[in-house]
Amino acid sequence: MDRKRVPGPELSVAPLVEYPADFKRWTPQDECRHDSKRQPEDMRPIYLKTGLITQANGSAYIELEKTKLACGVYGPRPIKRVGQIFSGRGILNCEIKFASFSCAKRRSNIRDPQERELSQILSQALAPAVRLEKIPKSAIDVYITVLESDGWGSCVAAAVTAASVALAHAGIEMLDLVAGCSASYIQTAPLSISSLSISEGDTGSISTSTTNTNKTITATATATQPPQIFMDADFEEEKYQQGAIVLAYMPSLHEITHVLQSGKAESSTISQSVEHCMEACNKIYAVMHHALLESIGENKEAL
Amino acid sequence: MPSLISPAERDYILKGIECNIRADGRQRSDFREITLETSVVSQTSGSARVRIAGGSDVLISVKAEIGPVQVDPETGDGADKGQIICSIECAPSASQQFEGRGADDLNNELTQMMSRFLCSNNTAISSLSPTCSGSGGIDLSKLCIIPGQQCWILFVDALVLDYGGNLMDAIFMGVRAAIYDTKIPKTEVQDLGDGQFEFEVLDDEEDIDFVHGREDMPICITLNKIGTRHIVDATLLEELCTEAKLVVAVNRAGEICGLQKNHDGSIEPSLLLEMIQVGKTMGQALIKNLDAKIKEEAESDLTKRLQGDPARKLGFFAQ
Repeated sequence: MDRKRVPGPELSVAPLVEYPADFKRWTPQDECRHDSKRQPEDMRPIYLKTGLITQANGSAYIELEKTKLACGVYGPRPIKRVGQIFSGRGILNCEIKFASFSCAKRRSNIRDPQERELSQILSQALAPAVRLEKIPKSAIDVYITVLESDGWGSCVAAAVTAASVALAHAGIEMLDLVAGCSASYIQTAPLSISSLSISEGDTGSISTSTTNTNKTITATATATQPPQIFMDADFEEEKYQQGAIVLAYMPSLHEITHVLQSGKAESSTISQSVEHCMEACNKIYAVMHHALLESIGENKEAL
Repeated sequence: MPSLISPAERDYILKGIECNIRADGRQRSDFREITLETSVVSQTSGSARVRIAGGSDVLISVKAEIGPVQVDPETGDGADKGQIICSIECAPSASQQFEGRGADDLNNELTQMMSRFLCSNNTAISSLSPTCSGSGGIDLSKLCIIPGQQCWILFVDALVLDYGGNLMDAIFMGVRAAIYDTKIPKTEVQDLGDGQFEFEVLDDEEDIDFVHGREDMPICITLNKIGTRHIVDATLLEELCTEAKLVVAVNRAGEICGLQKNHDGSIEPSLLLEMIQVGKTMGQALIKNLDAKIKEEAESDLTKRLQGDPARKLGFFAQ
């Protein structure tokens, strides 16, 4: 435990929130998406800006409504760690940190295994684009801070997008920009009466809360119909997902730099979602382009 | 375990793969010989050891322990579910690079990947929804003893004893065999009234449960992209030439239970989809063969036990 900090309480209890009388929690059976504006194939609007961190060689800030991340790039600089084996290629070192207040549950200040893995995933997603062979014996450090997270998949995807824009902003030689995109597989099919009654019988044993019955109902429905692909799902939608995919893609080179899928899915669903994600990445690419061009314009004005 | 490869050696491997012949005489889609053994460690609920000829040697143990259920305070989810906790450790004796903290990154990467493929709990990947039955296939609700209080926790630990490439495939084959071998004692729950429960673990060797849904567990196939081709079951040297790796987790029904790219390379979209298809068909075939062997071993062990003969095991590092 870190003794220099005041630790949060060991046990936490969800606050008692009084919902208004007409409040209804979103479910996939609703006709619209959680924020009621989007179509399944729509992403949230992206705000992307470079150069917000003054001390970094390159930086970017990205916002997809409630998903907010800041990214700073330092380097290329000499490798700090001694005793590392010599390699003719530079090292791309990524570190992602969720701020302790960024998620529904409070996260610890110490790097947890999930953050360590994500950092690795990020460097694997970005490395194909960066010309590391040009900078032997040096390292590029990419630090990403998640300020607010609304959906795990969208957070990873946004981190990839922001990091590659920050790398470009730092003037590091790259082959292409990497855009990240996420999608969730969610069962939206309305239920037949028969499956409903069966599943209620199943859970009728000891603790039958309303959420419990809901669970089994959707579980029985999954077998029949292919799930709907929701692009860029938010936290509320992710609660109902059967699986999710995060894709990192270089639009001009037409190459996939990373793919991460979890949960069960048919291969047809996967190929479909890969295509949807690539399409979305092309759109994100335009936003990234725009942000970078804007940063050049600002530099000119400053001169 | 070498970490660098000479350009000449790389070229040799690359050109060979282009001609569909590899250094050890295999074709691109051929596996090496696999040795599998179950019930090798007496202290566990189930164990297995997998050795791939000329390299990787992995020991997998499953230990079932009783612990409190983990309930999500917000949704109340998880009250009627057991848990699976995975860990993979590369033994320092396996390679010079694994001593000290050298294996930390690899351990963490493999552990997280295994947790994601095997269990659908919240720690592995954000919140895989409560509606999701889980890609791991194992029926967690059957591991619950008293809802809201006590459950079985399955600790799946993999120990890498020797590293010779294609670690993930070996580990998953071993996990499937070890879970298949796992025997959990039956419990008897007594209702004491007003919401109070008490349970007793039956201490009889015959009164055991197997893990429900063990047939639906996924295994994974690692495809290594070298040049414009892809190969399975790469050796150490071939792994050093690999641009990008794709780990495809498949279950018996041919559903994809997880995908992850590794290494610092990229894959063209058409090749990616082809690799997923190849992984799926190979995985299904491998599961079929694997299950036949696991069942055969379990049956032969049983007949030996009934006859009173000791079941002879090869033991570790056996050839």
